[in-house]
Amino acid sequence: MVGKKLTKQEELLLQDFSRNVTTKSSALFYGNALIVSAIPLWLFWRIHQMDPYQSALVWAAMTIVSTYLVAFAYRNTKFILKHKVAQRREEAVNREVMKSLGDDKKMSRKEKDERALWKKNEVADYEATTFAIFYNNAFYLVLAIILSFYILKTTTPTINYILTISATSGILALFSTGSQ
Amino acid sequence: MRLQLVLIGVLAVCFGNADEDHGPAWLLASKTLHNQFVVEGKELVVEYIIFNVGESAATNVVLTEESFHPEDFELVRGMTKTKWDRIAPGANVSHTIILRPRVYGFFNMTAADVSYLSSEDASEPVHSYTSAPGEGGIMRYRDFDRKFSPHILDWAAFGMMTVPSLCIPFMLWFRSKSKYETIAQQSRKTN
Repeated sequence: MVGKKLTKQEELLLQDFSRNVTTKSSALFYGNALIVSAIPLWLFWRIHQMDPYQSALVWAAMTIVSTYLVAFAYRNTKFILKHKVAQRREEAVNREVMKSLGDDKKMSRKEKDERALWKKNEVADYEATTFAIFYNNAFYLVLAIILSFYILKTTTPTINYILTISATSGILALFSTGSQ
Repeated sequence: MRLQLVLIGVLAVCFGNADEDHGPAWLLASKTLHNQFVVEGKELVVEYIIFNVGESAATNVVLTEESFHPEDFELVRGMTKTKWDRIAPGANVSHTIILRPRVYGFFNMTAADVSYLSSEDASEPVHSYTSAPGEGGIMRYRDFDRKFSPHILDWAAFGMMTVPSLCIPFMLWFRSKSKYETIAQQSRKTN
């Protein structure tokens, strides 16, 4: 039917099964991805002795590519984690919400259940987002160090940088597309 | 008895005069670099050793080093032209200079010049050369630093930079996780 308004439950269900994130979440993901993609530049400047002026273009290009791929990894990881976290937190969130709304006689049972569902979604979203960022950041930095200083240490600094960043962000994005 | 004394005297004069017939002085000189790596902007130690393998003392010994051009090398310590009044037969002398390369790339290290008088009567000096280290490379400072420096401060700064990206998301997640696990544990206890 045209113009039918979705209930809160239907909206939450749509959100749950969609990989789309809110604008706020998107900004958070891209911001964090940009920061973590820029951190290895310090190592390439100070330890691999790359000249910042000569390498500016390469650095900018690879940082943009890495930011996109890391944000992609954040999104996918969050989506996978959210359902697991929601199942684990269901009992605790219900208890918390019922405790805070238990004495409210004006609210119906249905409204209380909706509130609990919304809270559960919010907590799952929050924990999945923060853990996805932490996990992917740690993985990215460790992988970048291993590739740059052990596997690719004999290559020239520019090639080292391009291969390290593309492989690290590529592997992160690839692993995030797993189903578990 | 008188004849024996005359014979002894004649022999003594003969053997005494034989000491004055020495060969000339003969100097052998080496020039060596003490560095394992020659690096742009870092000290380079060059040592010269002169051996007198001849039978006479060498006098007015002058060592002249002209292969390190001031445009390419900065003289930190020592002199490129040195003089010794006398080097006794069988003796050796050494001289060291410290340089700092201003540029990097391939460099041909040629011999230094040694001149001396081969005997006390000699008027014309003898010219010879030290050994030559040959062609070598002066490493770029950036490449040397990249290869050998421990970069402790740089790694420490990197560690500090990673702390916000790792610790903040972890702490936020951990706080929420702890809160709801505590609530879940309490509800299990009451049930």
